[in-house]
Amino acid sequence: MTGPSGIRLDTVSRSFKGRGTTVQALDNVSLDCPAGSFTALIGPSGCGKSTLLRLALGLDQADSGEVSIAGLAPMDAARAGMTGVAFQDAALMPWRSVEDNIALPLDVLGQPRRDNAAKIASLIDLVGLAGFEKALPGELSGGMRQRVAIARSLVTNPQVLFLDEPFGALDQILRRQMNVELQRIWIASRATTLLVTHGIDEAVFLADRVAVMQSKPGRITRIIDIPLMRPRGPDVFTSAEFHRLEDEIAGALNGH
Amino acid sequence: MATETIAARGSSLRTWLVLLIIWEICGRLQLIASGALPAPSSILMRLWIDRADYPPHILATLEGAGVGFLIGNGIAVAAGVLFALFPMAARLGRGVNIALFALPAIAISPLLVLTFSDMTPRIILAAIGCYFVTMSSTVTGISQTDQRMIEVIRAYGGGRWKILVLAQMRSALPAILSGLRIAAPNAVLGSILAEFGGGGRYGLGVYLIGSLGRAEPDRLWGIGLAATLIAGLAYAVFSLIALRFTGATKAVTVPATAPGGATMSWPLWLRLLLSTGSVVIPIALWWLLLIAMGTPAMIAKTPLGLFEYLFLQPNSQASQMKLLAALGQTLPLTIAGMALGIAFAFGLALMSVLRPGIIRGFMPVALVTQTMPLVALTPLLVLILGRGPSLILWITISVTFFPAFVTMAQGLSMVPRAALDVPRAYGASLFTQLRLVSVPASLPYLFAATRLAVPRALLGVMIAEWLATGTGLGNLLNQSRGYLDYGMIWAVAVVSVLLSVVFYQCVVLIERPVLARRGMRAAQ
Ligand SMILES: Nc1ncnc2c1ncn2[C@@H]1O[C@H](COP(=O)(O)OP(=O)(O)OP(=O)(O)O)[C@@H](O)[C@H]1O
Ligand SMILES: [Mg+2]
Repeated sequence: MTGPSGIRLDTVSRSFKGRGTTVQALDNVSLDCPAGSFTALIGPSGCGKSTLLRLALGLDQADSGEVSIAGLAPMDAARAGMTGVAFQDAALMPWRSVEDNIALPLDVLGQPRRDNAAKIASLIDLVGLAGFEKALPGELSGGMRQRVAIARSLVTNPQVLFLDEPFGALDQILRRQMNVELQRIWIASRATTLLVTHGIDEAVFLADRVAVMQSKPGRITRIIDIPLMRPRGPDVFTSAEFHRLEDEIAGALNGH
Repeated sequence: MATETIAARGSSLRTWLVLLIIWEICGRLQLIASGALPAPSSILMRLWIDRADYPPHILATLEGAGVGFLIGNGIAVAAGVLFALFPMAARLGRGVNIALFALPAIAISPLLVLTFSDMTPRIILAAIGCYFVTMSSTVTGISQTDQRMIEVIRAYGGGRWKILVLAQMRSALPAILSGLRIAAPNAVLGSILAEFGGGGRYGLGVYLIGSLGRAEPDRLWGIGLAATLIAGLAYAVFSLIALRFTGATKAVTVPATAPGGATMSWPLWLRLLLSTGSVVIPIALWWLLLIAMGTPAMIAKTPLGLFEYLFLQPNSQASQMKLLAALGQTLPLTIAGMALGIAFAFGLALMSVLRPGIIRGFMPVALVTQTMPLVALTPLLVLILGRGPSLILWITISVTFFPAFVTMAQGLSMVPRAALDVPRAYGASLFTQLRLVSVPASLPYLFAATRLAVPRALLGVMIAEWLATGTGLGNLLNQSRGYLDYGMIWAVAVVSVLLSVVFYQCVVLIERPVLARRGMRAAQ
């Protein structure tokens, strides 16, 4: 079913045993992201979005069900350098400069940094941090740190990209800018992308499909296709079709 | 901020000046114990007169301490990494670790001197003095690495090795450095204790022993000062390096991910096996070492030989009685001194959060009480405090206090900025900040400090008993040395190790459920 770089989750369940209680974070969730597609995952806080992402990255094991990236086990795909990820938490190393933090995946994968110097510089430019190359994370604002994490997720030219609320700490204007930039990068690279977001407008603007989740237990209740033409410009935000889709997603989130 | 710092520095300078002047007056007028506390000026004068004597002694002590420091810490860091990465190895090695930590240096120094020649006993004792502190801070540093960073590395397929190299070693660096700065004075102390045991013509310990009989307090103080200076310098160097690294390492946000802990899910049989192993290994090592070194059986007691000495020989009964009587004198004072030392350290560490100036002002004082080799200090303290239990109590407090203070101050300084920002944003008073953030966050360090304190307290009591009060285990050790009663020396050494281990395990038993309830993990 999955193409060369698709994401596939097949009836995946994951529960957590807390202090005396059990949380069903994911209950029989199936999701198929074809190669080169852009899927947005939206749902109330605590519904299991980050959990789903961690399973797809191989950071956590499902209780039951199958997860594969490009037909490989998640960890094997990661080792092959196919994936990129930006976590909800920037999770930067406080002793590494902006530049060095962005280069971390290269260090992990054992790719020489020299060959990628230009790439790193252009990513720093892209996320608007030129001039802060040598700064330490402790000297940056929350939004700036998040932008470092976004740049880091792109440094390996990933074929599969996971983004967990990457723009959560950005202001609305910067967020729109980053949305446009992300779309540009995505069109150029056609990486299979799974974006977790709380912004309905962001989801509609960026995605081919929006998967809506509900909690208790965590599950995907609807998948809504976004048939808007690409590339989508900033004017799309005001179109009637855009608003209709937004309303449809809002309805799905409210359980209609 | 800057003016605050300068003001704090100025005030601590003032404190020092005042103390120095009071000391000078007391010394000049022979106010304290009729001249047991000489004036700083006469100590300096004597140092100047003796200046030609010092270099060979200082060099010899530096050599023993330095080589021991390198060897001990090299082994310690390697072992720490091993233990942090493989919980099973940590469980198996626990027995050896605690035994090495609890090994009373004064008890084995005579045995070492009989077995080895010149520098070796000093190097061994210095290395042993470093090992536990550095090993455990390496484990702490590595296991407290921010889980989020580890996840990023794992997300890119990084394995154990990459995680160790890219995240854990670097994030453990401040902890390791703070371990090294405690280890540095320990190495000096270890070397000097070995020098007391005899062997070799040079070394500050040799010099001190030689001057001990001659009722010249100013020379004793001079030698003590020289030893303190060496230890203090070593401490300062590592503090400076640590300061440079801690600043950049402090996490900006609080990790929300619970630290992973697979160890609790081990099956019962495995846990039993590992526990047994951890007890058997040190005993096996003890046995093997004696065989490997070929020490004469008269001096070297194997576990079997010791059992024979304590239970099977005609005078075993008498030996047992002596040992129990000594224990009865040593135990209560150890517990009391330790409790006071830790309470004092905890209070001061908390105060240092409110008033960072305290660390700057107080650290040097704490350092002096710590690095002033106890053996040099004890005769002087005897003259001032007398030979009663209060002397033992004071000495024990001062040995326990310093490492506990450093451990807890370090723990508190690692509390992330964001964790303090939240209550501060709601206008919480400093006290509320302490109660809500600093105290809970420092709990793992309080327990770790307590575990660290146990054997030190015992060592402090024994040194004081040996040199001053003539009671308890310390005295028994000294007497047995005189009577060439090697069985008893071994018995005291083993009993004091066992005592430390029992104490240590008691702390662990309390620590586990308390930390588990708060979703925290023990700082090794
Ligand atoms: N390691 C864990 N241990 C225990 N429970 C967990 C763990 N990780 C997640 N959970 C629980 O699983 C559920 C889903 O968590 P998850 O982080 O996936 O939510 P989310 O959809 O990403 O929420 P948000 O939008 O707020 O980030 C929550 O109820 C959470 O309490
Ligand atoms: Mg989340």
